[in-house]
Amino acid sequence: MAEMWINMGPQHPMTHGLWNLKVKVDGETVVDAEPEVGYLHRGVEKICEDRTYPQIIPIADRLCYGSSLTWSHLYCMTVEDLMDLKVPPRAEHIRVVAIEMQRIASHLMWLAAYAVDLGMMAGFLYAMRDREIFIDLLQALSGSRITYNYPRIGGVAHDLPPNFQRDALRACDYMDKKLKEYEDLYDGSTVFLMRNQGVGILRREDAMNLGVTGPTMRGSGIAYDLRKDHPYSVYPDMDFEVASHPDCDCYARYRVRMVEMRESARIIRQALAKMPQGKWRTIAPRTAPEGTGIGRVEDPRGEGMMYVVGDGTDKPYRLKIRSPIFVSVSAAPKMLIGYKVADVVAIMGTLDMCIGETDR
Amino acid sequence: MNLFEFCYGLMHWLVDILNNIWYWLGDFLPWKFGDFFIAIGDLAKAHGTIAVAAILLEVLIIFIIALVSVLNFIWLDRKFMGRIFDFYGPYYVGYRIGGWLQNLADGMKLFVKEVITPSKADKAGFLLAPVVFVASSVLALSTIPLSPDFGVAVNRAGDFVPAGALFAFAAFAIAPFSILVAGWSSNNKYTIIGGMRSAAQMMSYEIPLLLTVASVCLMAGSFSFVDIVAAQSNIWFAIPLALGFIVFLVCIVAEVEIQPFDLPEAEAELVEGWTTEYSGMRFGLFMMTSYLRSYVAGALVTALFLGGWHGFDFIPGPIWFLIKAYIVFIVLTWMRWSLPRIRVDQILQFGWTRLMPLAMLNLLIAAAFKTLGWF
Amino acid sequence: MDIEKAPSMIDGNPEEKVLRSLAEGFPRTISGGEKLKSGVIRAHVERTDLYAVCQTLRDSLGFEHISMISAVDYPDRFELVYHITSYQSRLLLELVTGTPKDDPGVDSVSSVWGGANWQEREAYDLMGVVFRNHPKLERILLPMDTMFHPLRKDFKG
Repeated sequence: MAEMWINMGPQHPMTHGLWNLKVKVDGETVVDAEPEVGYLHRGVEKICEDRTYPQIIPIADRLCYGSSLTWSHLYCMTVEDLMDLKVPPRAEHIRVVAIEMQRIASHLMWLAAYAVDLGMMAGFLYAMRDREIFIDLLQALSGSRITYNYPRIGGVAHDLPPNFQRDALRACDYMDKKLKEYEDLYDGSTVFLMRNQGVGILRREDAMNLGVTGPTMRGSGIAYDLRKDHPYSVYPDMDFEVASHPDCDCYARYRVRMVEMRESARIIRQALAKMPQGKWRTIAPRTAPEGTGIGRVEDPRGEGMMYVVGDGTDKPYRLKIRSPIFVSVSAAPKMLIGYKVADVVAIMGTLDMCIGETDR
Repeated sequence: MNLFEFCYGLMHWLVDILNNIWYWLGDFLPWKFGDFFIAIGDLAKAHGTIAVAAILLEVLIIFIIALVSVLNFIWLDRKFMGRIFDFYGPYYVGYRIGGWLQNLADGMKLFVKEVITPSKADKAGFLLAPVVFVASSVLALSTIPLSPDFGVAVNRAGDFVPAGALFAFAAFAIAPFSILVAGWSSNNKYTIIGGMRSAAQMMSYEIPLLLTVASVCLMAGSFSFVDIVAAQSNIWFAIPLALGFIVFLVCIVAEVEIQPFDLPEAEAELVEGWTTEYSGMRFGLFMMTSYLRSYVAGALVTALFLGGWHGFDFIPGPIWFLIKAYIVFIVLTWMRWSLPRIRVDQILQFGWTRLMPLAMLNLLIAAAFKTLGWF
Repeated sequence: MDIEKAPSMIDGNPEEKVLRSLAEGFPRTISGGEKLKSGVIRAHVERTDLYAVCQTLRDSLGFEHISMISAVDYPDRFELVYHITSYQSRLLLELVTGTPKDDPGVDSVSSVWGGANWQEREAYDLMGVVFRNHPKLERILLPMDTMFHPLRKDFKG
């Protein structure tokens, strides 16, 4: 059969979000691939030049709706770097608790979508059921389920609700139990291992050179985590391990995310135990000084980064957002060429794509 | 009294009642009209006419049993899926009987949808493919009796067709052709790929399937279902031919396209696979036939391996047969919703390199049992 | 801390080492090296030497990963800010270069780091900065036939 270009997307049940992947197939084997993004471009960076600093926090939430707390926290960190603002310790601990809960919720959603892509609907519903527990906790904390609008420049919006500590610890214990169950369900399933091992190999050098970060990079054996190697907030006080796996295939990336969930539960417990009393917010000045600010966080999908240029008014002059998935998608052809069409789903699934942050 | 005699008697009684009307009209009306109605009455009373009518009634009864089983299977599938996934299955429609009426609601919905034919599609193939698919699957039911007294393919003396198993599997195997035609005539890249994958999968799993059937027929000494089940009166074939039983179950799952072998209809990659361009009740026919084929699969497993209609005497034979077919379906459903999908080249590799040697080994075991005289 | 006026330290902390090697390797084009905070350094480079500096960074100074390429529109110039990460020494280098508005072009570094490919396409798409020797400089986020570059300050939507 001759080679032909197949369009996977933009309307397709598999693709999480709105993007197009053109693959050139020869029979069943992928010979070439070309991703096309830009269908969800909203012009966020231009919008932000016309909004005051606090007005951008909900916009930052909507960048990646899968893990929105990370982005609004990143934005607040960047502006605090620009304004040289010191955040009170209680706010930092609350932020860490919320971010790690968001990380667990985001990884559970990835697990659900990945299971249903592979054909195991049971995995989808179990992961979504467990994610509800963390989304309920975050709703008690901030008032909404997905786009939270919770961090503020200089702290967080409001204090912890009553009984939050007790419920969060219960949720962490439940998560540890469920992680064991997931490992039995997935690692014990021969079919799952057959679909994942040896598929979508991304070598170490390619991962570093092509700018792939996050669990995808850690699945290729590079044990680099921004929370440990460029620590921010109160992460230097937390004791956790960086998850990495030496095989560079889909199975390695899946294992990395499962270990990260367990480590997140550990961090939540430590942050709750060390939570000091005090203020949860300092009032930030209305106008920012002239200068630049950088913020870097370890997003569940990779390295998120923001660069803000202030010009003495109450609106930023330029806000540049680095999305980890934007760069990982450009590395996708390296992972796809040579495998079968049915593997495309598995490989793109392990990248954990969220188009909101790709297209901004 | 077997099914044919029952239907014959019923039709005879019906014809007797109707003939009163014809003969009365014949006496009443003058000239040629009267002769006309008397001739109709004589024609209806003839043995040939009543026999044909009885056969049609038999077919209708078997067909209704199959369709009711299909409705039950769809309901069972969704309820079981709900239990595995931690939610309720169909719940509201038919609230008091557990949501069974949801099937009828879904069927009605499919009837009122707009039926679209793509303009560039090959009309003959597009329209005929569902017909062939459904017809061949129902045809496979014709030689499977539910008990020695309850079957269609039987002559007046009560002997079943001697090559029942052959015919059933031959009819079952026509499906890959209709899938290929359906996929190709839709004029769509995705459906071609889906159709070819499906046909490849089905054809490569036919061989271990038929080898296993050959081993069963070897043990029983005949191709007729009645003889095969009669040979299991001491012990079900699932126990000495355990290897064959497992191979047969795996192959029949691949034939009916149930997860983990349902890549041709994989939503995640190819939208709906080879049925993408079909809409409305045409698509409903494909869905229904998929469950009908799993009913046929359950019936075949029961007849070949699980002792057919043997069981305790307080329940009649056909009911035992249906109970065993339902249990087989529940086991297949359990497997279906617990496992991920296997990639198509892994499926083909598995079929050729693992199942075929096992099926041949099973044939050797059957031959050994037969030679040793234990069966 | 201004590196030129620091007392001589043979094996100082990694930030100073990098800044010193850059200043010694490209004395005429590198300027303004300073340490912003722990683990973050900044330097300014002329656009003529950008490609050579990036090659040196990747090959001998161990900067394996380019994090972000930002384009900022100032009244008199376009400024390109490259954030480059070193995994082995845990550093972030902010490399700033300017290009005049009537001829906005720099050399592409996508042959040094593959991760720069799509980031440069985005900067071209939204800001209009041309990257010479880029393998495929096309619009990426906006439709192919768009006539304007929206992130420029003179574009009012």
